Amino acid sequence: MATPDLAFERARCAEDTVVGDLIVRHRLSTRVLHWAVALAFFVSLVSGAPIWSPVFGWMAGLMGGLAACRVIHPWAGVLFFVGSVLMFFRWRADMGIEPGDREWFGLKTVRYMDHRELDVAVGKYNGGQKLFFYAAALGALGLLVSGVVLWLPTRYPQLLRMAGIVLHDVTFILFAIAIVFHVYLAAFAEPRTLRAMTKGTVTKGWARLHHPGWYREVVEGRRERG
Amino acid sequence: MAQGLEIRRSSASLWGEKTGLRKLPVVAKYIDTTTCIGCKACEVACQEWNDLKVVPTRQTGTYQTLPSLTADFWNLIKFDERETRERGFLWLMRKDQCMHCEEPGCLAACPAPGAIVQYENGIVDVDPARCIGCGYCLSGCPFDIPRFDQGTAKMAKCTLCVDRVQVGLGPACVKACPTGCLQFGTKDDMVAMGQARVEQLEANGLAQATLYDPPGVGGTGVVTVLGHGDHPEWYGLPRDPRVPLGVKLWKQVLRPLGMLAIFGSVIAAFGHFMTRGPMATGEDAEGGDA
Repeated sequence: MATPDLAFERARCAEDTVVGDLIVRHRLSTRVLHWAVALAFFVSLVSGAPIWSPVFGWMAGLMGGLAACRVIHPWAGVLFFVGSVLMFFRWRADMGIEPGDREWFGLKTVRYMDHRELDVAVGKYNGGQKLFFYAAALGALGLLVSGVVLWLPTRYPQLLRMAGIVLHDVTFILFAIAIVFHVYLAAFAEPRTLRAMTKGTVTKGWARLHHPGWYREVVEGRRERG
Repeated sequence: MAQGLEIRRSSASLWGEKTGLRKLPVVAKYIDTTTCIGCKACEVACQEWNDLKVVPTRQTGTYQTLPSLTADFWNLIKFDERETRERGFLWLMRKDQCMHCEEPGCLAACPAPGAIVQYENGIVDVDPARCIGCGYCLSGCPFDIPRFDQGTAKMAKCTLCVDRVQVGLGPACVKACPTGCLQFGTKDDMVAMGQARVEQLEANGLAQATLYDPPGVGGTGVVTVLGHGDHPEWYGLPRDPRVPLGVKLWKQVLRPLGMLAIFGSVIAAFGHFMTRGPMATGEDAEGGDA
């Protein structure tokens, strides 16, 4: 059995490789990028929510007041977008939609959440994850485009400002719902998942259960995807 | 910002926005465009009383001081020469400033608690200390009145001289008007005066004269006699001003629905965790880090 330190070392730059009982899922730079985007998201959230509704007015204090939120929010949003773009191009190669993935857009995900479904064909990412990937990329773009209009209201005509308010709102609401489930699945619903983003490695058992296709590919060297 | 005036409405306030113990009469400014001579004394009075910066002007072939209001210029006589088929050549002038809506779009759009307030007397005012300079009020206003001050990064507009009104004086512009086309008093009195004037104009050949007090924003704190009231757009006034749909959609529909959906998904996730629980990986609990 390899020592955990060895796996941790390997996870710095290698990916999709076996180290003893562990498999490296995300190399260091991927993990750092993910957490940078997550940080930008939460700064955007905490600085944007009190502008969205006074219900979240208490969050403004964390940023140094509502006037500070007005300054911080757009810049945090720009960082979030830039990070999202980098993440998009890093992961795009693994996110090709395959025939089996489409089933995940429907009842299969419900059965999976009900612990009644295990898809033996799933590769490194299942259809639900891929859907989240594309939705998040589209959402980041929508938030940026509408956000720029709200950022510089004197530069845009009234109609565009109205469209910006509505688009920013709708995109944010959908994004927030998606993030709730993203965090819940990674941190609570599927044990041993979060370590893929912290240590970079997952257990073989976890990989066999959630991503059997990827497991076979990495452990047995069989590439199944066309 | 006037201290001590009772507040009827306050931007982005969840509750307790009404401070009113005393009932104050709603006030209004009366503008008669048919007796305005375009002397611009009101512009000067406004600049002087409010200590606004001198704005450099350029001669562009019009009597109008500036193309539009600025953060340092809250009261502008708008001049318009217009050739019409049915009524011939018209030289129109109208005093442009904050209309002090009964249902202010700026206040509805403002996300900063207390940055825009409506006093019990109907005056809509800005508290620069609370304004965060987001510019949402620009989007909320159907009359294109609020101006963003690049220097202070705050919004600025006519206050209806609330600092004068609260000590029993009329606005500076009204005080300076030499023809009496500007008047100040209770809303009821100003509307009555306007209606009487409209009847007089109708009897004197201006059959289309109206009193502009648009119901779409609940009426305004500035009532305007228009000689050609069937065409408010000739005077640069919107025909049927309303709080913009986008602002209403945001505050009244998307926000409550969004909150329901976001908190609903947290509850759904919690419910799933409690009823279905985490998925077993089939490994023993050893090293059970998440």
